Formats: sequence, structure tokens, C-alpha cells
Amino acid sequence: MTTYSVEIEVPDEHDIEGVDPGGSVTVEVDESEYVLAAARDQGVWLPAFCQQGWCTTCAAEVLDGDLDHSDAKRYYAVDAQAGFALTCVATPRSDLRLRACAEIAMKEHREANGLQPTP
Amino acid sequence: MSDDKPHAGGSIEPGDTSQRVGVTTLEERGLDVDELIDKLKAAAGAEFTTYYYYTNLRMHLAGHEDYKEITEDARLEDRAHFELVAPRIYELGGALPNDIREFANGASCPDAELPVPYEGDIPDTEDLTAEDTLEVLLEAERCAIRTWNEICDMTEGKDRRTFDMAQRILQEEIEHEAWFVELLSMERDGEINPAGHFVRGEPGEAPYSTNRRINDSA
Repeated sequence: MTTYSVEIEVPDEHDIEGVDPGGSVTVEVDESEYVLAAARDQGVWLPAFCQQGWCTTCAAEVLDGDLDHSDAKRYYAVDAQAGFALTCVATPRSDLRLRACAEIAMKEHREANGLQPTP
Repeated sequence: MSDDKPHAGGSIEPGDTSQRVGVTTLEERGLDVDELIDKLKAAAGAEFTTYYYYTNLRMHLAGHEDYKEITEDARLEDRAHFELVAPRIYELGGALPNDIREFANGASCPDAELPVPYEGDIPDTEDLTAEDTLEVLLEAERCAIRTWNEICDMTEGKDRRTFDMAQRILQEEIEHEAWFVELLSMERDGEINPAGHFVRGEPGEAPYSTNRRINDSA
């Protein structure tokens, strides 16, 4: 079992338990674990809603690294190309740097590409 | 403001109907009401689409009258959840989308589709099993549990009315999950995992979440 380091940045305006606003935290995530679940297990309460890769509440921007989204219910090739991840169903394939709380940005990206859900 | 009546005053002018104390008091407590409205619309969308999809799933449990009956309870209770949430969205100053497609696309849970390919308008049910259908039902309930827990987290200690509503819906979603765990365990694995599905007073009674009984004409 390979374990990866996932550095999660939190934008200033978001209040996430386990990370100072504007700060970052690093969690360890096994290759078979979802990023969201691993982060929450380690005290970092990232936002989420459906936890099935459908609603985009858990969206993050991928600053560096690769993830697998095979289990997502609604995730498109253009999402990956634009550097968005759904942390609730994404498993790491490398060490990662993510910027959390990207739901609005991902929805705007979806709207620009004629995909659901939109803002 | 009178010392004797500390809640008699406030920042809203008497007779002003453009604002609601029921909203401003939530904002005073640090709740992002716009975010809550968005989440409630998404959750209401999930309840409504679930009601639709469960109608189709239930019809395709042909020959499994016991499964049909339990699915019917879950189906009608999810409708009751939608009807409970919708007025709350308006109380908070929000509104349901005019376009049902927008409403469904914004649902917080995946479509609980019949797990078979379609040929045009007709499902190819040749390989459809009760096990497959029960798994779809189970995962839909699990999504609902997650979403209502999140809404409980958002509102706890800040918005007592929404918290109470979300908590009561959550109670029923947890029961629904237990029902489908029991059915799928036996159907797929031959395992006994009792849920205690006691018959409701009538189908769809929604014992926790119904504020007012749906009358016979509804």
C-alpha cells in the first residue's frame, strides 16, 4: 500500500476546522483512500455534501499531482483538464498540493462548459 | 429597547415586510443564509428526484411485493421531505427554480436511475435483478444521510428551525438505509441484518418529518 502526502491550502475567507484560514496542512492519504475521508480522519474538516462525486461541494483546485476519479458520479474530462478535483471520491496517485473550497470556481467552470451543476 | 422586553425591538422597522426577523436573527448568529438556501435547494432537489426515481425502481421490483412495499414507504417519505423543505426555502428568502431541469441538475445526490441500459425509451430489463435495484436504493439513502448530516452541522446552534427539520428528515433517512441494508444483505448474501421495518400507519406516513398530515386529496 502506497501512502501519499497531500498538502491542502485553505483560502483566507474560509473557516475550515483543523486549518488556519490562509494556511495549509499536510495529511497522509493511502492510494485506496479518498482524500476527503482521510483529511477528516486526521482532523481537517473539509466541506462536503453528497460524498459521491456528484454535487461539487468538496471541489478543490489541483496545484500539483495526480488523482483518480473513477468512483465519481459526475466528473468530466474538462474538469481534470481545468485542474479541479472532487476530494470526496478522489484517490491520490502521487503526492499532492490542493487548494480547498473551490466549489464556486468549479461551478463557474462547469457553466462555461455547458455542464451541470452550475452556480 | 425596553429593559423589560429585550426582544420587543430590533433593526427592522415595524410593518416592514421586506425583511424577516427569522432571517436576520440567523445572520446575527453567524449563519450564511445564502449558503444554507443553496444547500436546502440541493437537498430538496435530491428528495424530489428520489421520489421520481423510486417510482421507477419500485415498479421494476416485479414479483418482490415485500421490497415494493418498503420502497413505497421510502418513496412517499422522500416526497414528504421535499414538501417539508420547500416552504423553509421561502421562509429564508430563497425560491425554487422555475425550471425543473435546473432543480434536478442541482440536486445534491446522484440520479437513482434504473441500473440497466435503455433502448430508446424502453429499459432492457433482461439482466435486471432485485439485488441491483436494492443497491441503487441503498446508495441513494446513504447520500441523503450525508447531506442532511451536513445541514445539521451547518445549522446546529444557529438555526433551530432548520436544524430541527433536518434532524427529523435525517431520522427517516437512517431508517431507510437500515431497511435496504436488511433487504440487500439477504437478497445478495443470504445474511440476516434486521432493520426493524415496522409497518407505518399508512404508506409514506413519515412519522418524524411530517408536520401536517397530507390530506386525502393531496
